[in-house]
Amino acid sequence: MRNLIGVAALAFAFLSPAAQAAESWGLPGEEIVRFEAKVVDVLCELSGDCPANCGGGKRQLGLVNDEGRLILPLKNQVPFAGAAYELIDFCAKRVVADGLMVTNRGYTFMTLQFVRAAPEGPWKRANRFTAKWAERNNVAADSDAAKQWFYNDPRVKDLVARQGKLGLGTAADKEFLGE
Amino acid sequence: MRTMALAGFAAVALSTAAQAAPPERVQVTGEIIDSWCYLTEIMYPEGSAHHQCAIWCAAGGIPVGIKGDDGKVYMVLKLGADSTSVANPGILEIQSHKVKVEADLYVRDGINYLTIAQVVNDEGIVNLTHDEYGIQPFGE
Repeated sequence: MRNLIGVAALAFAFLSPAAQAAESWGLPGEEIVRFEAKVVDVLCELSGDCPANCGGGKRQLGLVNDEGRLILPLKNQVPFAGAAYELIDFCAKRVVADGLMVTNRGYTFMTLQFVRAAPEGPWKRANRFTAKWAERNNVAADSDAAKQWFYNDPRVKDLVARQGKLGLGTAADKEFLGE
Repeated sequence: MRTMALAGFAAVALSTAAQAAPPERVQVTGEIIDSWCYLTEIMYPEGSAHHQCAIWCAAGGIPVGIKGDDGKVYMVLKLGADSTSVANPGILEIQSHKVKVEADLYVRDGINYLTIAQVVNDEGIVNLTHDEYGIQPFGE
């Protein structure tokens, strides 16, 4: 069952259509939500350590809703990518966040699917990670390299080359995978 | 009017106090994990079987966590002097490791957040799960 949920969630991440409203990803404890909130630098919010522009994209960003609740978005719509890239342009501003609130294993967190400046800005699909990654790596945003960024990211390639896919060294990979 | 001003001042003061509660210095022992895969259970999310995926997710900016031996999940917001928590290079290096950290713990709205002062002990990857679960999620 867990594998089925995983495959479904990954499929949605890859193939989700262009509708501008959150859709189910079949996750346990998910609820489709849309709410207004202020984008905050989470570390700043908690500790008072507040650099300019929410850390310029290097820090996790949160959403403080009108009840004062700090919501942590873990995920955007791009496979294996987070939400900070989608929210940094809205640092300290109010947005409408659209996605899934998920409660599982005793924790509640969000996956962001769409965002816009509150109250009526144009919707932005939470997949801008891909374009930003493509720009940093000098490839087209619609290229296969960008779509499968996780296989092509220089940092990832370097880590996997040194640590192996299992993290136990390349010899362990060869033994396990028969390569 | 003065009453309203005082009420406003008190509300601001209370709000600031609520948001800036002092942290608790703690030691946490556990495995560095990808928070998304672990909390959603979309695949097997621990140890060597999930190491490559955990690197992908950390490099992609998903919050990295520690699955504590106490059963709690802690989100890492800082490692040493480096307050980078989106694709932090130092955290990428120790993804999936069993570590003991000394950190400040902030708890807000049900989520545990850590700013790690130092990694006290690093055992490397000791959770060998690949024989049972293969390589997550694509098998290669």
